[in-house]
Amino acid sequence: MTSALVTESDARRAPTPQKTRARRREAFAGYLFLSPGLLLFLVFILGPFVAAIVLAFYSWDMLTEPEFAGVDNFVGLFSDPLFYRALGNTAIFTVASVVTHLVGGFVLALGVNRLVSKVVSYFVRTAIFFPFVISWAAVALLWKYVLDPNFGIVTYYIESLGIHPPDWFTDPNWALPAIIGMDWWHTVGYTFVIMMAGLQTVPRQLDEAAIVDGANAWQRLWFVTIPIMSPTIFFATVITFIGAFQIFDPIQIITPNGGPNDSTISVVMYLYRQGFESFQVGYASGVAIVVFVIMALVTALQFWASRRWVHSE
Amino acid sequence: MNGNGGFDRRTLLRGSMLAGLGILGAGSLAGCSGGDSDKLILAYNGDATQQKAFQALFDEFQKQHPKIQMKATGIAAGDWGTFANTVSTQIAGGKKFDVVDVATEGQLLLASKKVLEPLDSLIAKDSDVTDEFFAAIPEQLGKWTKTYGSPDGKTYYIPGGYNTVGMYLNKEVFSDAGVELPETDWTWDDFRSAAEQVKVKTGAYFYAAGYGFPFQDILPWLLTNGTSTLNDDWNKCLLGDDAAIEAATFLKDLIADGLSPKPGGEFDAPTQFARGKLAAMPGGRYTVLDINRIEMTDKTRVVNFPSKVSNGTPVGWDGWPIFADSEKQDDAWVFLKWMMSPESSQFYAEHGGTNVPVRREVAESKEFLANAPEGSELIGKAIEFGTPIPSPAQGAKIDDVITSAWQAAILGTKDVAEALTAASKKVDALL
Repeated sequence: MTSALVTESDARRAPTPQKTRARRREAFAGYLFLSPGLLLFLVFILGPFVAAIVLAFYSWDMLTEPEFAGVDNFVGLFSDPLFYRALGNTAIFTVASVVTHLVGGFVLALGVNRLVSKVVSYFVRTAIFFPFVISWAAVALLWKYVLDPNFGIVTYYIESLGIHPPDWFTDPNWALPAIIGMDWWHTVGYTFVIMMAGLQTVPRQLDEAAIVDGANAWQRLWFVTIPIMSPTIFFATVITFIGAFQIFDPIQIITPNGGPNDSTISVVMYLYRQGFESFQVGYASGVAIVVFVIMALVTALQFWASRRWVHSE
Repeated sequence: MNGNGGFDRRTLLRGSMLAGLGILGAGSLAGCSGGDSDKLILAYNGDATQQKAFQALFDEFQKQHPKIQMKATGIAAGDWGTFANTVSTQIAGGKKFDVVDVATEGQLLLASKKVLEPLDSLIAKDSDVTDEFFAAIPEQLGKWTKTYGSPDGKTYYIPGGYNTVGMYLNKEVFSDAGVELPETDWTWDDFRSAAEQVKVKTGAYFYAAGYGFPFQDILPWLLTNGTSTLNDDWNKCLLGDDAAIEAATFLKDLIADGLSPKPGGEFDAPTQFARGKLAAMPGGRYTVLDINRIEMTDKTRVVNFPSKVSNGTPVGWDGWPIFADSEKQDDAWVFLKWMMSPESSQFYAEHGGTNVPVRREVAESKEFLANAPEGSELIGKAIEFGTPIPSPAQGAKIDDVITSAWQAAILGTKDVAEALTAASKKVDALL
């Protein structure tokens, strides 16, 4: 029988009432320390998340009682051409943003990492990162001035070359690319800093060993630097994707009506319009759920794919 | 709880879910009053300058009715859509309002939600006050408030101040270009001819065409050409009409010919107007604040909007309702009666309000027209040929469609007729 196997030492290890009380106190203290964060999580993340899921199945205008609508919001959503337009614009923006940030941030980091002068290196690092600390509102207004079709400095210099510049934010072919460029200028500094940190993890010995083996610069980059930096690149990919998919501020400030021919409307802007201009909160919650599912699936896909190319050791 | 007397992950998760649902419930019209249950709660739209004028008005009310405690919240929303959004969000969060200043654009929508108290019995009960008031205001306002601010023929709003759109002209630019200033009325042809002359003689832009603010960027051009965005019953879009296409083409040509700056940039009309780089700006009474700020009051003349077929302007006005769930309806009615009084109208006018006072005699008074450009009385008088700004319940979505189409039309990114006809079909589908 089991009881017959209980040894004296086991009996000594069994919790006494004093030990149980101490553990309870310890657990209580633990949760007490956890409570501020937990409370914020409940109020600002889990609560709204649960609310959005429930509201997605209701029709609610914020003024009168919500009415159960079943899947009507989703039916309406998936039959609205503007939603697909918003999703398409967001996909273009996201792909462009991820690619240009990763390539741009990596190339900038490689360049700055090679700078010999510390003073110059610090200056360049600060200069590249600086736009990131400026608020989106200020950045959007700044670029609106720079690209103004009447007196913008870019317009002026392009015209002085004899070229007729496009109307950046009112031409349907240029509005989204202009915002992609503006976003890159504003946030590439963040990717750059991540890449700089990643570069510090590449052991100098490996690079030197590759040189001794006769590898050229391209081979060292491709077979040594990138594989070792792959966890950093993966992290930057996920973060950039999540940020880009939620793009809203610059588009709302620069093209508040969704741009010429709806060329800049993003999925979050579509959500905002439904929720806070048309007061269809249930419908907007449905959009939020769809956005959440897309982001979760793509992120999961990224993690799955990462097993093939990310070196975790 | 786990075996050690603590909480396990499952318990925590369950607690979190319940808390989340609790938050949802709390947010769903829980009806808490936010600790101001003994006060008359009022919300209105206004920037810092407007809030100063409104607050002076409310302070005056408090002086005369010290027993009524009032809490007036000015929301610097910028536009009526954002104001409606802010107020609705606060109501959804459990805030209760007794009175809210509602613009034309939101009146039908709010009344159709059945959250407002019909005022007919109160109006009848205090007929000595209300009869005098409705006789003293433009006849149209009383009629329109009932027609366009009610889904069922009942009265839900007491009309407040209103706005129309006229044209503010820079006298110096006109003089430098040798162009005679219109006295009151002028035509699109006069407008175009003056624009060409100003461009040649001074290099200044004549007018900054736009699309973001339909009240002054789109509607006046349509109404002066005998059309509008919607028909009188607000159930059919007129944007595909020949007259609308003609209006958009007129503006497109202004831009293409360099008489208007290209819209969509950071061209700041008041600043350029003050620098003599812009000859004409559209605007209502609210524009007087800008004119004062840029110190152009004496160098500006206000005239009617140029016309093609006849004079025309959109009209927007404030409406003051009482909320159906207000526990201070008696106090709210005392406040609305005071808002109808000549003294409150006069007081607001003297303190620099951005609307034309609702009472005719105040709108035409010296006090109201002081410190405003010559011709400012035309903004008030324009209500005689004005048309209520179309404000169906689906207004926000319709505005998005119309502004996008107008943008494409006047910028030439789409053929004018194609852009406006497609938009017209979209709007009809929404209606």
